[in-house]
Amino acid sequence: MRIAFAGNPNSGKTTMYNALTGRSEKVGNWGGVTVGSKEYTIKKEIAGRDDVIAVDLPGAYSMSPFTPEEGITSEYVRTANPDAIVNIVDATNLSRSLFFTTQLLELGIPVVVALNKGDINEKEGTKIDTAKLSAKLGCPVFDTISIEQKGLDEVIKTAISLAGTTQKAPYLQADINLHDKAAVDKEDRKRYEFVNNIVADVETRKQLSAEATKADTVDNVLTNPIAGILVFAAVMWFVFWVSQAWLGPLVADWLVGWIETFQEWVAAQLENSPPILSALLADGIVGGVGAVVGFLPLVMVMYFLIALLEDCGYMARVSAVMDPIFKRVGLSGKSVIPVVIGTGCGIPAIMACRTIRDERERRATTMLTTFIPCGAKIPVIALFAGAFFAGASWVSLLSYFLGLVLIFLGALLIKGITGYKYRKSFFIMELPKWKAPSLKFAFKMMMERARAYIVKAATIILVCNTVVQVMQSFNWHFQPVEEGAESTSILASIASPFAVLLIPLGFGVWQLAAAAITGFIAKENVVGTLAVVYGLTAFIDTEELAMTGGANTVAMTMGLTSVTALAYLFFNLYTPPCFAAIGAMNSEMKSKGWLWGAIGLQLGTGYTIAFLVNQFGTLFTEGHFAAGFVPGLIAVLCMVAALVLIAKKVRAHFDEQYELHAKSSKEGAAA
Amino acid sequence: MELTMKSLFKADEKTAAKETSAVAEEKKDNITLLDAEPGKTYIIKEINTEDDEMNSFLFRLGCYPGEPITLISKKRKSCIVVIKDGRYNLDQLLSEAIVL
Repeated sequence: MRIAFAGNPNSGKTTMYNALTGRSEKVGNWGGVTVGSKEYTIKKEIAGRDDVIAVDLPGAYSMSPFTPEEGITSEYVRTANPDAIVNIVDATNLSRSLFFTTQLLELGIPVVVALNKGDINEKEGTKIDTAKLSAKLGCPVFDTISIEQKGLDEVIKTAISLAGTTQKAPYLQADINLHDKAAVDKEDRKRYEFVNNIVADVETRKQLSAEATKADTVDNVLTNPIAGILVFAAVMWFVFWVSQAWLGPLVADWLVGWIETFQEWVAAQLENSPPILSALLADGIVGGVGAVVGFLPLVMVMYFLIALLEDCGYMARVSAVMDPIFKRVGLSGKSVIPVVIGTGCGIPAIMACRTIRDERERRATTMLTTFIPCGAKIPVIALFAGAFFAGASWVSLLSYFLGLVLIFLGALLIKGITGYKYRKSFFIMELPKWKAPSLKFAFKMMMERARAYIVKAATIILVCNTVVQVMQSFNWHFQPVEEGAESTSILASIASPFAVLLIPLGFGVWQLAAAAITGFIAKENVVGTLAVVYGLTAFIDTEELAMTGGANTVAMTMGLTSVTALAYLFFNLYTPPCFAAIGAMNSEMKSKGWLWGAIGLQLGTGYTIAFLVNQFGTLFTEGHFAAGFVPGLIAVLCMVAALVLIAKKVRAHFDEQYELHAKSSKEGAAA
Repeated sequence: MELTMKSLFKADEKTAAKETSAVAEEKKDNITLLDAEPGKTYIIKEINTEDDEMNSFLFRLGCYPGEPITLISKKRKSCIVVIKDGRYNLDQLLSEAIVL
């Protein structure tokens, strides 16, 4: 038996779904957090049986979809025939929510209304007569508070008991021609009148919605073009500083001590086994995976802080204040949300682009959002900041800032290539009521992500490290590589051709090329592979690795200067994200052209940035260009030429389309 | 138009008193949200985004001719309004498309 959860955006559907199923799907205090449908069995102790499946759907204002994710909802309730619908209604905005409710009631599927957010209404002195509302709608209505898990049992039990019955609609749309816009409008007006009458009957408000409150004063500052952006910059700086310069490394240092102890213990246990096995287990597996896990605290602290931001309602304000700037470069204010989510992981960020209505803006955001370093890139940043820049926090800050700059530049580029737009781009964002962020919730989200991070380290990263270790230890004749002949290993011979391409960037050695390549599988692999190929662990231990007079083990072994290290870091950050994110991009863009454009753009950007940093950095520090300046310049110029060609082609295609339109309209006029 | 407004006021008596005074002040001059005064409630006269889908989306939020809208604050390129019981941030294009 399937029960679908439908309702307006940000009414608390996913919170209720999580409470009923025990899942930890993403929730947040803004409209459009859930962008796809999800299903899971409801806990037996609530449903009384174990075959009841809850289906969480994206929020929708009505049955007529406006953005792609709204379409998923109307499509589901229309065609998937759920056994019952739980309509979650935001009790603080009854007058708007009931419009969708009356549409759901027309489908014939039994509906149970969960009147959610009763706690806010109580605070504001708004009263809703539940019994009267139930009588008017002709369906059961229950007061619920999703975040406190109140009232959910009755909702589910009633929904189960009603399954199989037919819902009677209190309001039926007249039989009209749905293609006649005027007729549809008239019907919708009548529906709203019906809703308004119900609301007037059942709701009493102490505080009128239109009255200005203290929260409005706050919003006024946060959406101010100058103050609002300064606040946003300060908030993000604080998040990165705490997670990557202060609290994160503090915990990480302690964790790394334990990992090292464990590694030594493993090595001691293997003392009498063949050196190959010892190297594989102690260095390859424990060392490589340990190097990645050592950075976990940085990632966890950041997830915690971002979860707090998402929970309080700030995201909608950021989106509003950034809209004018983002619009100028051809994106939408809603592009900010993927960018912030992208600091955690690129995949949900790419999916979050669905809430952007304009197709070009949506695809452009999908293409660019992964320039913001994700959680998996934090170990890479922290490693390089620690080994080459004495753990300086500006490296991390610069990485994020440059990511943001690249998003703007990339957006301008896409705007230039695709030509001016034909459709006006509107921006409307609901500003949800502020809510005190729940520490418990943020903690839960953090642990959930930490678990995923460890699972990833113990699976993908582990496998990759083992493969790298084996490929490095053997040559093509499957004989162990002798000391001093490392370049005959399988790994070296595969990575060397790629390394040649990287010479203009300042890091044309096979070890670094191999690490960059494994990074496409998962970015943490860059750290894991470096640990394996250079036989280093405990990257995070900044005290031990601090640059003292230009000589430290990591920096020395890698043979990188601070300039080339920065170039290598940026190359890994801004080239295409992992395969999983590229897969997500593919399914969201629904266009091979855009997908390849995205991959090409990211490869080109990573290469160009690394090239510029290396060449000009070397020019400033040593007074001359680095090796491979001319070939590198040629490569970059080729990329620019390719861009110009694509732009020409795309624009010609646009003109063609435009001409066709003009022709057909002329013909139409002539006829 | 008269009719819808009347029936609406009947339905929404709580806010009706406030709105009539605001409406009376505005008389017949057509202004957009961007020219409106913060803190005041207006009745929407016309919505013209030149985009049918956008118009009907606004409709579903309760933003259509005959309905009240309150301007909370405005900036150079955006404003915050109350439609029904929700607050929304609108950009310049949308603010200009809503005629009061």
